Amino acid sequence: MEIQSCVTILNEWDIVAARQLGRNVAKELGFGTVDQARITTAISELARNIYLYAGQGQLCIDRLNEQGKTGLRIIAVDEGPGIPDIRKVMEDGFSTSGGLGAGLPGVRRLMDDFDIDSNPGEGTDIRATKWLR
Amino acid sequence: MYNEIISHIKDRKTTLIEEWIERVKEEADERMITVVSEQVFQRTSYEFVDLILLSLSEKADYQDKLQLFSEKVVRLGWPVTFVVAGLRTFTHIVHDDLIAQGVISKEREGEYLEFLDKWMAPMSNEIIHTYASTWEKTVSLQKMALQELSAPLIPVVEHISIMPLVGTIDTERAKLIMENLLEGVVDHRAEVVLIDITGVPVVDTMVAHHIIQAAEAVRLVGARCMLVGIRPEIAQTIVNLGIDLNKFVTTSTLRKGMEKALEMTNRKIVGLEGAL
Amino acid sequence: MRIPILKLNDCLLVSIQWELDDQTALQFQEDLLKKIHETNARGVVIDITSIDFIDSFIAKVLGDVINMSRLMGAKVVITGIQPAVAITLVELGIRLDDVMTALDLEKGLEKLQQELGD
Repeated sequence: MEIQSCVTILNEWDIVAARQLGRNVAKELGFGTVDQARITTAISELARNIYLYAGQGQLCIDRLNEQGKTGLRIIAVDEGPGIPDIRKVMEDGFSTSGGLGAGLPGVRRLMDDFDIDSNPGEGTDIRATKWLR
Repeated sequence: MYNEIISHIKDRKTTLIEEWIERVKEEADERMITVVSEQVFQRTSYEFVDLILLSLSEKADYQDKLQLFSEKVVRLGWPVTFVVAGLRTFTHIVHDDLIAQGVISKEREGEYLEFLDKWMAPMSNEIIHTYASTWEKTVSLQKMALQELSAPLIPVVEHISIMPLVGTIDTERAKLIMENLLEGVVDHRAEVVLIDITGVPVVDTMVAHHIIQAAEAVRLVGARCMLVGIRPEIAQTIVNLGIDLNKFVTTSTLRKGMEKALEMTNRKIVGLEGAL
Repeated sequence: MRIPILKLNDCLLVSIQWELDDQTALQFQEDLLKKIHETNARGVVIDITSIDFIDSFIAKVLGDVINMSRLMGAKVVITGIQPAVAITLVELGIRLDDVMTALDLEKGLEKLQQELGD
């Protein structure tokens, strides 16, 4: 069972909209304050990546219900330049934007499951899931 | 085909059961025989055959009865492999007996075997399902019990709180501990927190990593963290693994830690004058 | 919307009351540095009790503004970081190593006075 809501990321304000959407869904599903913060932060990182590197893309929130487990999945999809070396961006401290380089490895730590699929020139598809404990 | 088989089983119930018990005992290992008493075994076997007959005649209460029976078997604590193997053995016995008694002809053997198999399948499914869900329930109950065991933060004196950790720390528990710790610090308005690891059997890099993270988070909310209860063997492993705890104040015992914490909050324990 | 910055003796007080978007965060950086310059403040307390998450961007802006303030001779204490925020920061891998922190505004001011040696 999946119900999906999406935000199109075009400018900085859409990052705020994406986080608000994520936080509301997380609250609705019954996540505690710490998990709400983890989810909101992960969304913010992913949405900002779209804005910074791809220029535009979509950030969707799925409500999951699999085998009696409730979960929230963030899906960040863009058709930007893609990531040439995924292993590199998953290293702590690697940054091309002059940021803290905490983005993607940080998101992986904040969430329970993390999947990334990216091809140079074709775009990036990132899925990160948090399960309700 | 139904009726043939039903009446056959009904007629030869006792013989079949005796044969079955004999065969199951042969196949089961020693331990199983000693665990299960003869009487219980006999009674359960009869009940089981009744159930099989009931399933053939397709009465409405078959599902309920099957469920009751599976639950009973699970409660008796029989290994699931034993029960499932027993079911299969019973199918074979009935099949062999049908042939031996000349109820079915050689040519139709395969047909009957297939029929018997099809009819046993839902039964073993139900039994396996009951076993599995019982285990799942047990595991989740134990998990909950473990979570309740997890790490309370105890405010001992003003501005000082202690969190005693007991048992093995895995990632999930570490997260819970961190949440308890931080929320407690804010609630109690603690300035110094002592994490007591006397009761943690093993401190490996993962556990150390979680403790360091917790200390870092404690610092962010505006308090200080101290690690106490470091036994000699823990000190050894920490150094051998190359874990850097230099940012921490650490002490070997809770008592020393408490003294230091009081010092950090500009206090000390003094004996009452005139006492002794 | 701008974040108000209040002056108290030789300290500046900032209380961030709502979710920070990127523009507000950058604007705040500029405003705070200007205010430090105008008032010659020696200490700053930034209270973020109402903030319920901090991502790497906002963490960077905060970290930068603290370093910049230090260069201008003002010490910064961050107060009221929520447990959930502290946990996510640590898990994200963001180290705010040299940042002074305190439980709440009151404790933060105390710490600042100590640091400034009054």
